[in-house]
Amino acid sequence: MNKIEAKNVNFYYGDFHALKNISIAIPEKQVVAFIGPSGCGKSTFLRLFNRMNDLIPVARLEGNILIDGQDIYDKSVDVDVLRKNVGMVFQRPNPFPKSIFENVAYGLRVNGIKDKHFIEERVETALKGAALWNEVKDKLKESAYALSGGQQQRLCIARAMAVSPSVLLMDEPASALDPISTSKIEELICELSEQTTIVIVTHSMQQAARVSNKTAFFYLGEMVEYDETKKIFTHPEKEATQNYITGRFG
Amino acid sequence: MDGQINKHDERFIQYNKKKHLVQNIMFGIFRLFSYGIAAVLFCILGFILIKGFHTISWEFITEAPADGMTKGGIWPAIVGTCCLMLGSAIFAFPVGVVSGIYMNEYAPKGKLVNFIRMMTNNLAGIPSIVFGLFGMAFFVNYMGFGDSIIAGSLTLGLLALPIVIRTTEEAFKDIPNSFREGSLALGATKAQTIWKVLLPSAMPRVITGLILSLGRVSGETAPILFTCAAYFLPQLPKSVFDQCMALPYHLYVVATSGTDIEAQLPIAYGTAFVLIVIVLIMNLTANFIRRFFVKKTR
Repeated sequence: MNKIEAKNVNFYYGDFHALKNISIAIPEKQVVAFIGPSGCGKSTFLRLFNRMNDLIPVARLEGNILIDGQDIYDKSVDVDVLRKNVGMVFQRPNPFPKSIFENVAYGLRVNGIKDKHFIEERVETALKGAALWNEVKDKLKESAYALSGGQQQRLCIARAMAVSPSVLLMDEPASALDPISTSKIEELICELSEQTTIVIVTHSMQQAARVSNKTAFFYLGEMVEYDETKKIFTHPEKEATQNYITGRFG
Repeated sequence: MDGQINKHDERFIQYNKKKHLVQNIMFGIFRLFSYGIAAVLFCILGFILIKGFHTISWEFITEAPADGMTKGGIWPAIVGTCCLMLGSAIFAFPVGVVSGIYMNEYAPKGKLVNFIRMMTNNLAGIPSIVFGLFGMAFFVNYMGFGDSIIAGSLTLGLLALPIVIRTTEEAFKDIPNSFREGSLALGATKAQTIWKVLLPSAMPRVITGLILSLGRVSGETAPILFTCAAYFLPQLPKSVFDQCMALPYHLYVVATSGTDIEAQLPIAYGTAFVLIVIVLIMNLTANFIRRFFVKKTR
C-alpha cells in the first residue's frame, strides 16, 4: 500500500523550474531516502509533502500529491490537520524557547488537547520513543536550550512524534550533529519506521544506505532513479547515479 | 625562507610600531568620544539633581501650587503626567503591537507594507508640535473632546505609536524562521504560532519598546499644549474629559511666565528633578522586565 504518491509534479520558484515532472510512490512504514547534490530539489520536494512551501509566495505547483489517496493540495484539505498527520524534523534542531516538557507538549496543545494527565503520558511516551527520557526525566521543567545539539534534535523528533503523525519528514536531520549523535538519530529512524512512514533527505550516502529501504536520486530538479536502496548502491541503472554514489561529483 | 617576512627586519619592526601607534590613537579618540557622551549626560543629570534636590520635600510632591506658583508643590502635575502616560499607553500599546505583528507576520510582503512602513517612519519624524496642532484640530474640536486628558492622551498616543510599531516589528523580525516552521509543522495555525511561540520570544523587546515610548511621551510638552495641559489647576482631574496639569508643561510655565520668575526657579528645578526621576524609573523598570523575561525564556 502506497502511503504517499506524487504524480507528475512540477514546481517553480518564480521563473525557476525547481522540480521537473517527478512521480514517486512511497510505501507505508518504510524509510525512503532522497539523495543528491545541493540544490537538486530534494528538500523542496520533501517540503511539498506537508505543504511547507505554501509559505513561499512566488512558488507554484503543478501535478498531484496524494497521501492515503487524498490530494493534499485539494481545497477541502485543512493544512493544519495535514501537518499534524505529516510531521517534520528540520536540518538544525529548532526547539522552542520553552521547557523540555512544553516543547513536546506543544503539538498536543495546539491541536486542542487539554487533558493534563493525557499530555503527561504522551510526553513521556514521545521522549522514550526518541531515546531521550532517561537523560531528561529529572529536568523536564528546564529550558530546552540546556540540552546538547544531539539531544535537542532528539527532542524535536519527540516533539514531532508526540502528535502521532503517520508520516515523518526529515530534512537532513543529522547534518549539524557529531557522529555519536548521528548514529543515535539513525537508530531512532529504524525504530520509528515500525510505526510511521519516514522520508529522509540526506547528504550522506552512507546514511541513506544504512537507514533506508528505498532511495531516490535527484539531480538538477529531476528524479534520476528510484529503487530499492540495495540496488541503487550496488547496481544503479543510470550513469549519473553511478557517478554520484561513487563520489565522482556532488 | 624566501618570501617570508623576517621579524628581525628593521623595516618590519618600524612598520609594526607604526601600525600599533595608529591603532592606539584611533581607539583613544573613540574612547574619548564615548566617555564624553557619558560625561555630558552626567553633567545634565547632576546639574538638575543638585539644583532641584533642595526643593524636593514631602510637601512639594503632595501639594498643589500656591501663591501664584511661587510656593507649594506639583502634585496635580505629577498626577496629570501619570494620567497622560496611562491614557496614551492604553491607546498606543494595543494598536501599535497589533499593527507591528500584522506588518511582520500577516501582511503580504510588497509595496503596500513598504508604503505603510515608510509612513510609520515618517510619522516618527514629524515634529511634536505638529501632533499638537493635529490633536487640537481633530480630537479637541472635530471629535469634541475639548481640552481634556482623553484628547491629550490620544495625541501623545499617536506620538508613541511609531516607536511601538517599529520595536514590535523589529522584535518579531529577529525571531528565527525556524521557530515559525517548527510550530506550523506541528499543525499549529499562524495565530497559535504567533501567540504561543513568537510573542513570548519577542516579549522582552516589545515591553522594552513600550516603556521607552512612555518615557518619551512623559516628557513631551508640545502635543499637550493645545490639547490638554492646564496652566494652573489646583484640584485633581475627576474624569478623562477634564484638563490636567503636566510636569513638562508646568516646567515650561514656571520657567518662562508667572508672577515671579526668580522665586519660581527652584520650583522649575524641582519639577525637572521629579520628571527625570520618573523617566529614570521607567527605564530601569524596562531593563528589569527585559531581564526577567529573558531569564524566563532561556
